[in-house]
Amino acid sequence: MTVPNQHHDMNQIEELLKNALRRQDAPPDFSEQVLARVAEHNSVPRVRHDTWWSIFIRPLVRWSAITATAISLVVGGIHYRNARRERAKGEAAKQQLMLALRIAGSKLQLAKAKVNEINATQVKKQSSSEQE
Amino acid sequence: MRRTVSHAIVILLLARPMLLRAQEIKLPPDVEKLSVKAKETVEVNMDGPMLRWASKFLSAEDPDEQKAAKLITNLKGLYVRSFEFDNPGAYTSAEVDQLRAQFSSPLWSRVVGVRSQREGDNVDVFFKLEDERMAGIVIIAAEAKELTVVNIVGPIDVDELADLGGEFGIPRLNPKTLPKSTMKSIAKAEKGNPK
Repeated sequence: MTVPNQHHDMNQIEELLKNALRRQDAPPDFSEQVLARVAEHNSVPRVRHDTWWSIFIRPLVRWSAITATAISLVVGGIHYRNARRERAKGEAAKQQLMLALRIAGSKLQLAKAKVNEINATQVKKQSSSEQE
Repeated sequence: MRRTVSHAIVILLLARPMLLRAQEIKLPPDVEKLSVKAKETVEVNMDGPMLRWASKFLSAEDPDEQKAAKLITNLKGLYVRSFEFDNPGAYTSAEVDQLRAQFSSPLWSRVVGVRSQREGDNVDVFFKLEDERMAGIVIIAAEAKELTVVNIVGPIDVDELADLGGEFGIPRLNPKTLPKSTMKSIAKAEKGNPK
């Protein structure tokens, strides 16, 4: 008794499924709608969370930075070398100056000492002649 | 006319280094050659700008260098020639006389002239006076084994300069940079001149 009822139920389910899975054509403006959605999605600005060095990703920036660093190193090196040379020359000039002044001073002292020696001898002679 | 003026300017410009060089003493050619015979030669040629430049490197902490900076403030030139020989008789008295003769003009006055027959040390100090003000000193020290000529162009404090040669028997000189005979003569001078 239950068999014919069961068969009827099965047919009903089958019919429902057939209806549900029936091929349906896309609406005529479907592709336009899809493209519009895609365009809308692309136009929204992305929030980038880049680090500071990410600017060097660009080759122009990277090479400019490398060139600038190289130039500053070369210029700094030349400046440092020149400053050192200048300092060495100055030190040598100072040594020469001190040497010249010391030689001059020593010769003046020699002259002074000679004059004092002569004066002392004359005073001695004078006093001895007075005693006599 | 323009040509004459430009020629005169060119001549003046060319003559300028010669005029500047004229501040230096002309050493007789034979004296110049002494460096070949000399065991040690000291040659210092410093004009005004060079002195100013060198003074920038003088330390304010070193009393000697402080004194030196003060001494050279108004100097226009400092020229030293010193020859030290192994044996006496490397130069003749005629050569030294030739040197001395350059200071026989009325501009110069000899303030010290010492002749020592025994030790053979002869020292002459000439002062140059301009408008009754000292404008330079020349020292010619002809010792048995050493000949030194010092030419200081410009005013200088003589006592301060003599102080740089040493004090209280302790020479302030660096023995490494001075001829040995200079050291000996300083020691000798200080013995004869106790302060």
